[in-house]
Amino acid sequence: MDRAFQRTKILTNHLLQSSPSSPSLSSNDCLNYSPPELSENYEFDIKEMRKLIDGHHIEERDWLFGILMQSKFFNPKVRGGKVFLLPDYNQSMEQQREMTWKRIQYFLDRGVYKGWLTGKGEEVELRKFAAFEVLSMYDHSISIKLGVHFFLWGGAIQFFGTKHHHDKWLRDSENYSIKGCFAMTELGHGSNVRGIETVTTYDSNTEEFVINTPCESAQKYWIGGAANHATHTVVFSQLNINGTNQGVHAFIVQIRGADGNVCPNIRISDCGHKIGLNGVDNGRIWFDNVRVPRENLLNSVADVSPDGKYLSSIKDPDQRFAAFMAPLTSGRVNIAVTSVYQAKVGLAIAIRYALTRRAFSLKPNEPEVLLLDYPSHQRRLLPLVAKTYAMSFAAKYLKILYVKRTPQSNKTIHVFSSSFKATFTWNNMQTLQECREACGGQGLKTENRIGNLISEYDVQSTFEGDNHILMQQVSKALFAEYLAAQKRNKVFKGLGLEHMNRPCPIIPSQLNSTTLRSSQFQMDALCLREKNLLDLFVADVSQYQANGESKEHAFIKSYQVAEDLGRAFSDRTILQTFVEAEATLVSGSLKDVLGLLRSLYALTCLEDVAFLHYGYLSVDNAASVRKEITKICSELRPHALALVSSYGIPDAFLSPIAFNWIEANSWSSVEH
Amino acid sequence: MASSVSSQHDQVLVEAHASARILTLNRPKQLNALSFPMISWLLELFLAYEVDPNVKLVILKGKGRAFCAGGDVAAVVHDIRAGDWKAGAHFFLKEFTLNYLMATYSKPQVSILNGITMGGGAGASMHGRFRVATENTVFAMPETALGLFPDVGASYFLSRLPGFFGEYLGLTGSKLDGAEMLACGLATHFVPSANLPILEAALCKVDSSDPVIISSIIDQYCKQPSVKEQSAYNRLDVIDRCFSQKTVEKILTALEKEAVHQRDGWISATIETLKKASPTSLKISLRSIREGRLQGVGACLVREYRMVCHVMQGDFSKDFLEGCRALLIDKDKNPKWEPSKLELVSDSAVDCYFSKLNDEEWEDLKLPSRSNFNLPPYAIAKL
Repeated sequence: MDRAFQRTKILTNHLLQSSPSSPSLSSNDCLNYSPPELSENYEFDIKEMRKLIDGHHIEERDWLFGILMQSKFFNPKVRGGKVFLLPDYNQSMEQQREMTWKRIQYFLDRGVYKGWLTGKGEEVELRKFAAFEVLSMYDHSISIKLGVHFFLWGGAIQFFGTKHHHDKWLRDSENYSIKGCFAMTELGHGSNVRGIETVTTYDSNTEEFVINTPCESAQKYWIGGAANHATHTVVFSQLNINGTNQGVHAFIVQIRGADGNVCPNIRISDCGHKIGLNGVDNGRIWFDNVRVPRENLLNSVADVSPDGKYLSSIKDPDQRFAAFMAPLTSGRVNIAVTSVYQAKVGLAIAIRYALTRRAFSLKPNEPEVLLLDYPSHQRRLLPLVAKTYAMSFAAKYLKILYVKRTPQSNKTIHVFSSSFKATFTWNNMQTLQECREACGGQGLKTENRIGNLISEYDVQSTFEGDNHILMQQVSKALFAEYLAAQKRNKVFKGLGLEHMNRPCPIIPSQLNSTTLRSSQFQMDALCLREKNLLDLFVADVSQYQANGESKEHAFIKSYQVAEDLGRAFSDRTILQTFVEAEATLVSGSLKDVLGLLRSLYALTCLEDVAFLHYGYLSVDNAASVRKEITKICSELRPHALALVSSYGIPDAFLSPIAFNWIEANSWSSVEH
Repeated sequence: MASSVSSQHDQVLVEAHASARILTLNRPKQLNALSFPMISWLLELFLAYEVDPNVKLVILKGKGRAFCAGGDVAAVVHDIRAGDWKAGAHFFLKEFTLNYLMATYSKPQVSILNGITMGGGAGASMHGRFRVATENTVFAMPETALGLFPDVGASYFLSRLPGFFGEYLGLTGSKLDGAEMLACGLATHFVPSANLPILEAALCKVDSSDPVIISSIIDQYCKQPSVKEQSAYNRLDVIDRCFSQKTVEKILTALEKEAVHQRDGWISATIETLKKASPTSLKISLRSIREGRLQGVGACLVREYRMVCHVMQGDFSKDFLEGCRALLIDKDKNPKWEPSKLELVSDSAVDCYFSKLNDEEWEDLKLPSRSNFNLPPYAIAKL
């Protein structure tokens, strides 16, 4: 009865409201928007926290945010008294491509790309990463167009080219007199680059290479920039010298003239409309015996002499191919580290909404309960917040590893970047979907961003290596480490596998709160899973091999353990970077809250089905883990606003439901 | 005591009309520069009006040819020279609190800017809901020429102007007229001064706090002024290109590059102005506006309070004293800045201005809680 009475009262209030023509409705008994800033406290310094998780170039990031916010190019819209930036994804594909291109030119005018190709050193590389992280929070198409031009085209010239290529192309590329693209993927071959069918031969009479697309499946496909804008491309092709196939090599080919017309013997067609990323002009390219001068071979790894002799310092074709894959690493590092930022956008929106939106009263005539005060809502969102923190530390670790790379660290970077790219991008999709649902119906509105982020970033799990394949490669790399250690009777060294040398950790049969929150226990649990799965994987593969299967076939058949192992490696590495970051801090409120986040991250990892499936945790233990997660969530609840504010995302890059959503939807805000 | 109270009350005149209150800044000889008593009295009045259901609207104006030429810096400088920079800190603490209250006020404030509106005067008006400019308005944030920086929440309102116009205004201290203020959004209305008496009369009759109704009343006395051809606002493209640069040095380089392309008096004058301003002021001002763009008005004021305390403490640079000496006291208009060049002001020196003060008694600015008031959306959006 009480409830019925209360509802009647609310309805009566609605009906007795002043006429809708009155622009300001009375607020008596109606819901009021109360900004979370007024009710929530910051118990740690959010600026310090941001420094820690962004890790570098804070001022540079804020400068770039300002560059976007102060220009009409980024589609500013006022909602609820605040300005929000959001690309108009309702525009046609052609319009989106034009806008993306205008934005890229605007950044060029503002000097954003200074030093990106002509500069050298760790500072400029980290600065570039920071810029991509910022831009990726606004629009994926911009970062992909830039990524193709700078990381793939520019990277190919930097890594595969030699001095005369650098001198000839880098400056012109940096100032966009040349627009580059990267023609690797074909209709018939994506992840399996070694299988591509484009063929190049050498004509020693004219000292030219002749590049040809011999069949339809050899057409270059998904080439970003090819459909409209690119003037040049790096083509990946089999190199056939005197009937001998020397494997995949890279050549520079001009595909458009200064007038924008496609060059002779080149055919280009559009890939058409996509489920996202329509600001990127993906195209298809056919080469009809296109001739390019001998020096257009990017010859840092291998060269062809004027009279047509093949010369390479790397004799092993496997190693030669690996050398060619190096620039893909930079793209993969970039995808991994930027993907943490879309998850941050989604979570900042969903958490802020959950701190202002109420639903259901516990007792009649009591105020309704804030969404984030429901343990179930905390359970949905806070572990995902903990993951963004964990992954921020891992991302920083990967970036540093990359910018300090040496020829010896290439393999390590390959393993970490593959593992993180898969883990982070999968997590990104999962997080965004959860955030979308946590915002209820409001999450469905385009202006609230999360839905667009899902469709724009879906591609992350596919490009620069399918996530599943990358995870299998991680397991294969671990397998090789295992064999190497076993064969030479040596200890494990590198990739964080040193724990393999130690005795197997023991999980106590009774897990209390103190144990569950100790980083020692958390590391032990994740190491135990990794160690055991690696043993299992090696045993599995060996078993198949003993039964006469080839090694490759054995890998394919052991896919389940392989993927479990890949995940185990990722989780453990991420936790390790978290623990290391935490160790650098002096005790205080910042460290305390990071401790909670680390525990929440680790315990969420322990919920992976593998722990029960392989018996690393007892059923009782698993129940204790669950209970502890709920407890930590409730302890983190008071920090929720501070945690998402520490992401450092300007309000304009969030969305109306993250702020005064009542005003944003009020009658007076309707355009009459 | 009685005399001080009465003088405090003389400095701001109060007229009570039905549901409007007209507050007139009344120190015309000092161009209505905000003294400590004025600020305290205004703060008291605003706080009282907020809880008084009979008050629906507050009108703020100035007596004489100025709305308000700024804060009473001379008094602050006097304190600093006497070795008591903390008295100055107390002045700014009150002033910034007033600025915050105005920015988040639950009732509309109409400021009538019929004359000079600079520095602290901008702080007392720009945060309010309505800013009425006239043909007599002269607006500027001239602090970098004084060895200070645009304070009073300017890092909030300047950074929200179109493009990089805010950086331009804040660094150069350029003056705007009423038409330009309206064009860039600093003013919400332009009313010819001849219409002011009838506008005031009309506003005094309003029995509403509804911004839509108040705005439509002001609209009735408005005129659409045209922005003069040589206005800086018509050079927004050049301003954006130059003042979007990352550092003051790069802004200057960009301006010099523009000057090569086109011989233009405006560009060289802009370069001149920047070269005359305190290098330290320029650097901290740019950083402040940049940070302000990403912060709410409260965070802006807290940051500016830290900065102004560092400025007064004078650990890194004493340009504020020097600027006031050269422009306000000795009036030789020839300040000797120290450090004298931009390149001598390192990033770490700039960082210091944004950090907490190393002083046991000192505290960050604590802003009054606004959660008990039913804030309008306009105010909520600024938090």
